[in-house]
Amino acid sequence: MNIDNTQSQMRKGILEFCILSIIRRGEAYPSDIVEEMKAANLQIFEGTLYPLLTRLKNATMLTYRWVESSSGPPRKYFSLTPTGEGFYKELEATWFELANAVNALTSKKEVFSTTINQEESNFQQDESSEPPVNN
Amino acid sequence: MKKVININFQGRVVPIEETAYELLKQYIESLRKYFAFEEGRDEIINDIEGRIAELFSERLKNGANCITDADVNAVIAGMGRPEDFDPQEPEAATAGARDTGAHTTSTSWTTGNVPGRGSLYRNADDKIVGGVCSGLANYLRIDPVIMRILFVVFFGVLFWVYILLWIIVPSKSVSSSITKRLYRNPDQKVLGGVCGGLAAYFNMEVWIPRLIFALPFLFAIISSGFSPFWDWDFGFVPNIVSGSFGGSMFMIYIVLWIAVPVANTAAEKLEMRGQKVDLDSIRQAINKDLQNVKARTEKWGTELKETAENLGQRASEQAKVFTAQAGPAVRRSSNGLGHAIGVIIKAFLIFIFAIVAITLFGVLIGLLFGGIALAPLKDFVLEGSFQNSLVWLTLFLFFGTPLIALITWGVRRIMGVRSKRHFLGFAFVALWLAGLICASMLFYKVAGNYRRVASLDEEPISITQPDSILNVTTSSPDWKKYDRLRWMGFGDDDDWDWGFDSINQDSIMLSTVRISMVKSNDSDYHVYRVRSSRGRNMQEATNTASTINFDVTQNDSTIFLPKGFFITKKSKFRNQRVWMVMEIPVGKKISFSKNISGYNWITVNYDRHRFNIDNFDDDDDYYHNDEFNDERETSSLYRPIPGRTYLMKEDGRPERVND
Repeated sequence: MNIDNTQSQMRKGILEFCILSIIRRGEAYPSDIVEEMKAANLQIFEGTLYPLLTRLKNATMLTYRWVESSSGPPRKYFSLTPTGEGFYKELEATWFELANAVNALTSKKEVFSTTINQEESNFQQDESSEPPVNN
Repeated sequence: MKKVININFQGRVVPIEETAYELLKQYIESLRKYFAFEEGRDEIINDIEGRIAELFSERLKNGANCITDADVNAVIAGMGRPEDFDPQEPEAATAGARDTGAHTTSTSWTTGNVPGRGSLYRNADDKIVGGVCSGLANYLRIDPVIMRILFVVFFGVLFWVYILLWIIVPSKSVSSSITKRLYRNPDQKVLGGVCGGLAAYFNMEVWIPRLIFALPFLFAIISSGFSPFWDWDFGFVPNIVSGSFGGSMFMIYIVLWIAVPVANTAAEKLEMRGQKVDLDSIRQAINKDLQNVKARTEKWGTELKETAENLGQRASEQAKVFTAQAGPAVRRSSNGLGHAIGVIIKAFLIFIFAIVAITLFGVLIGLLFGGIALAPLKDFVLEGSFQNSLVWLTLFLFFGTPLIALITWGVRRIMGVRSKRHFLGFAFVALWLAGLICASMLFYKVAGNYRRVASLDEEPISITQPDSILNVTTSSPDWKKYDRLRWMGFGDDDDWDWGFDSINQDSIMLSTVRISMVKSNDSDYHVYRVRSSRGRNMQEATNTASTINFDVTQNDSTIFLPKGFFITKKSKFRNQRVWMVMEIPVGKKISFSKNISGYNWITVNYDRHRFNIDNFDDDDDYYHNDEFNDERETSSLYRPIPGRTYLMKEDGRPERVND
C-alpha cells in the first residue's frame, strides 16, 4: 500500500476547504494565500493553488478583481461569492463530522459532544479559529 | 560573462540572462504540458507567469541588474515543478471555461510549436564549441550527442565540414524539438552506464550492447589461449576481429563515456527512453526509482527498512528542491574537462585490472589445454590407475576450476546478473582446494618414483682396434619421427629440443647419452658403457636400468652409437641414462662426428634439487659426476665437442687437432 497516495488523498480532500476559509476572511491574492497556509503548516505550491483557484472561479465559487500595483504587474484579488459561501458552509459541516469521527476513533474521549448537531452554533463560533485537530 | 536579453514579460520589459531565459522557458513549457488538458489552462499559466513577473520585479527593485539563473531557479523552486503538484482531477460540474477579465496575453516570448524542419541553423543555446552539431542534429531531429560523437570519431574528414558550417550557417536560438536523447544510464551500469544508456535509447536489452563491446576482448583471449597450439592459416582474420576491432570498440566506449551525459533527474531518464515527459510518466519513473532503492535496502532488516524509507522520502523531497536549482547547472557542466579526466583515470585503472584478469584467464586456458595435450606422455611417467586418476583430477580441479570461475564471473558481469548468495563462490573454492590436495599428492607420488638412482656397473664393449684414430658417430635412424607431437610445439627445433622423439605411441626414444674421453692405461682403445636409471627403490632402479637397449656396432675404424634408446610405457620414464666412456691411448686420436650433438643430458637430482639440460653444443669440457656411483675421477674425464678430433696427450688431456 503506497502511503504517498493515501497522504495526498487526505490533502486533496481538505485543500479547497482551507483555501475557501482563508478567502472567506477577506479578499486575498494567491501569494497571500500561500503565505497563510505556510504559516498554518500546510504547504502548498503555487502551481497547485492557481489551478484550484481557477477551477473555483470557473465554478462561480470565487470572483476576483484586478488591483494595480507599483511593484510589478496587476494582481488578482479573490473573494467569495454567495455560491461560494454556501459551498464553504457545507464543507465546514462535513469537516466537523469527519474531525469528530476521526478524533473519536483515534482517542477514547469524545469531543464536541454537545454542539455537533447544531448548525447555528457553528456560525456563532469565532470565525478566525479552526477546530483543533488531534494528531 | 553572459549574454543578457530583454523580454516582454507580462507587459513589462525584463532584462534576463539568456541562459536564465532558457530555464524559464523550459519551466513554462513543462507547465503547459502539465496543464495541457486543464480547463482554463491559459488563465492558469497566465496567473503563474504573473506571479513570476512579480517576483522578478522585486528582485530588480532590490538592486539586481538583471534576472540570473539563480533567480529563475529560486522562483521555480518556490512555485514548484509539475511533478510536485498535488494531483487534481478536473471537476465534472465545471462549466465551459470563461475567460473573464481583461488580461494581457503572454505569447510574445513563448515560441509556438516548432514548425516542420525549417532551415538549418546553428544552435546558439546548446553548444559546446560552435553549436554546429546541435543545430545539425536539431535539423535532422536526432540527439545532438550522437551528432557530436560522429564528428569526433570521423574527426579528420568532418573537421573541415565543421569549420565550413561554423562560418556559413547562422546562429539562432532554437528550442530543441527532440524528445529522445542519448544518456548514460546510472541505474544500469557496470562501468559507466554507457551500454545501459544505449540499450535504453535503442530500446533493446542491456546485455546486447554489453556483449558487442565485450566480444572482441573475449575473442582475443580465446584465440591467444589457443595460439601456442596451432597456427592460424588465415592469420589476418583474427587480427582484424580481435586486434583492431577490439581496440576501436574500447576507444568508442571511452568516447561515449566522456561525451554522453548521465541521466540524473527523472525527466532526463524519461527522455533517455523517449517517453512522454508528463506528470504520469514522471511519477512512474520516480516510483520505479524508489522501488529500486527499496528492493536494495530490503535485506537490511525491517527496522532499517522503515528508517530508510522515511529518510529517503524526506531526502527525495529535499533533493527535488535541490535539483530544481542545481539540476540544469549540473547537466551543463557534466561535459566539462574535469569530468573527462576523472573518467579517463577510472577507465585506465579498470583497463589495467581487466588486463590482469585476461592474462590469468589465458594462462589458465593454456595450462588446461597443455595438460590435456600432454596426455599421451603421462603414461610414461605415471604408474598405476591411482596416479592416473590423480592427474585428471588435478587437471580439472586445480586448473579448470579457476578457469570456470573466471568465465562465470565474466558472463555474470556482462549479463548484469548478481547472485544473492555466494554459494557458487564457496563451491569453487572448495573444488580448487581439493584440486590443490590432488596436485600435492600427485607430486609426492610421482616424485617418489624417482627417489633412488641406480647404475649398473661398467660394461666393457669389445671393439677391434683401429690403427690411429677412432671415429665415433651415430647410426642413422631407421624410424620416422612421431609427428604428432609437433602440433604442440615439440618438434625438431634446434633450440628447443626436449630430448626425446617418439616412433609410436607406445614408446619414446630418449637420447640422454653422455660421452667422456679419458686416457687409456694401455695402448689400446677401450669403450665402456654405463647405464643408469631411477626408481622407487634400488631394486627397481636396477631393473629399469637393465632394460636400456644401447648396443654399439663397429665398421672398420668407426663405431656407431645408436641415436638413443627406447623406453616403453611398461618400463616408464625414470630418467634413464647411458654413459659411454672412451679410453684413448696416448698419442692416438679420436674423432667425433657432428651427429653426437643430438645427445642431450637431463639431470634430475632429487636430493639436491638440481635440474638442468645440457647439450653438447656448449664449449664446456667439464662436468660433474655426482649421479653415477662410479669410481672414475671427475677430473680425468673430458667431454668431447661434436665435430672435433682430439689427440690424447701424456698428461691425460685430449688436445684438439684439426682434421
